Amino acid sequence: MADDKDVLRDVWFGRIPTCFTLNQDEVTEREAEPYYLLLPRVSYLTLVTDKVKKHFLKVMKAEDVEEMWFEYEGTPLKWHYPIGVLFDLHASNTVLPWSITVHFKNFPDRDLLHCPSSSIVEAHFMSSIKEADALKHKSQVVNDMQKKDHKQLWMGLQNDKFDQFWAMNRKLMEYSTEDGGFRYIPFRIYQTMSDRPFIQKLFRPVSPDGNVHTLGDLLKEMDPTALPNDGEPKRYQVVIHGIEPLLETPLQWLSEHLSHPDNFLHICIIPTPTD
Amino acid sequence: MGSWKSHVRAKLQQRDQMSQLEERFEIRKQILDDVQSKSIGRSGVDVGKNTRLLQLQLRESEHLAEKLSQTVSDLTTVLYLKEAELQYWQSRVSHCRQEALTLAKGSNTLKATVSQLEFTAECQSKELAALRAEQKGLKQTLAQAWTEKEELLQRWMEEKREEAVRLNKYNAAQERWQHWAKQLKRHRHRDMAKEDIPIATSSWSGTTQTSPSVTQRINNTAVIQQGHSDHNHDSAAAKV
Repeated sequence: MADDKDVLRDVWFGRIPTCFTLNQDEVTEREAEPYYLLLPRVSYLTLVTDKVKKHFLKVMKAEDVEEMWFEYEGTPLKWHYPIGVLFDLHASNTVLPWSITVHFKNFPDRDLLHCPSSSIVEAHFMSSIKEADALKHKSQVVNDMQKKDHKQLWMGLQNDKFDQFWAMNRKLMEYSTEDGGFRYIPFRIYQTMSDRPFIQKLFRPVSPDGNVHTLGDLLKEMDPTALPNDGEPKRYQVVIHGIEPLLETPLQWLSEHLSHPDNFLHICIIPTPTD
Repeated sequence: MGSWKSHVRAKLQQRDQMSQLEERFEIRKQILDDVQSKSIGRSGVDVGKNTRLLQLQLRESEHLAEKLSQTVSDLTTVLYLKEAELQYWQSRVSHCRQEALTLAKGSNTLKATVSQLEFTAECQSKELAALRAEQKGLKQTLAQAWTEKEELLQRWMEEKREEAVRLNKYNAAQERWQHWAKQLKRHRHRDMAKEDIPIATSSWSGTTQTSPSVTQRINNTAVIQQGHSDHNHDSAAAKV
């Protein structure tokens, strides 16, 4: 469907204007200029920041350089979350460009995973795809794929090739008409005000009596506090890919069209801005 | 199209416009920097020439923009047409999908009914087999009962035949005895008449006295016959 393919394109080509600045505590030979970049929402920080690293290494001594990591207003940014999720969770409703601080020292081991090379990102990405397919099709689709098909998914993401990625990913989005949707919806709900990283449980796209489950139904079950009460002002925003879908949106459609390339539907619940 | 879908599309486009604006701002800023650096590097005389040249380029650009705008307008019309066509096909697909869903549900219901009927048929077939086995057993018992009945009837008939023979023998013996008794009586009368011996008759009772030895013999034989007959009768009854 033409309209739905447009949605897939809009999701894939979503970009966040970002300004990278070097942490003031880093030792440099001269002042480091900030570096501007349009970050793809669906990619991962460590996959698209080679240029940033190169830019800042020009002003630093080799002995002062350790593993690079990023921070936004004191919060270390987890590279294994998609960039769009990090932005929606920590920086939505702020002025653009998104200002990220770059560090080369004092790696926060307690908060972040190490990422020495892009193969780690690849492993994480493929593992997420497999987990999602286990929920959607009992792993039948991903197991039927060949090694080169897995590579095609990864290369599509790495090289930002929409058609290459979707030529293979559409297989992961198929389901029989009889079932009316996936077995379970792969989703993760992130909350800024919670200590746990995210909520992930089993949830079917259709109720036992045949009714289609919506985003509202999911939140009612997983995090009822995120839903507005009658007559009260909205306390939380439910954000997916930088937008607030209506709560009556069918979950199956959201999973097919607004999932990240890792095949998970990442949902951010953030407090409504007061101003 | 559902309102939720239009909402998502509109919001996504709105979201991306911000990024596009940023991008355009960056490009324009870069061009402005380039133009400024070039202007500073040249003398005042060149500025006038450059202005005319720039005006010319501007007109050319405007003309090109106009042509491009027309092309864009034409393409937009085509796009609208295509979009309408697509919407038609989309509605057809949606309709077919709905139909497929209904058919699939119907097929499921039928499958369930068939499965239930199969189960009932299996149960009934088992029940029939059990009844047949029972009928076979009963038939066998009936046949055995018939055989036993026939045997008993045969035995009873045999017994009746033997009894008849015995009765006939007894009757023949009785008849003989009565015949002899009559003969003896006649002989005695004749003898008495010959010898003129008065018959010892009780004057006051008028009863004829037969020789006690003869009477005893007749009685003994009758008792023996009677006992024999009773004995045989008993054994026949016992056999039945």
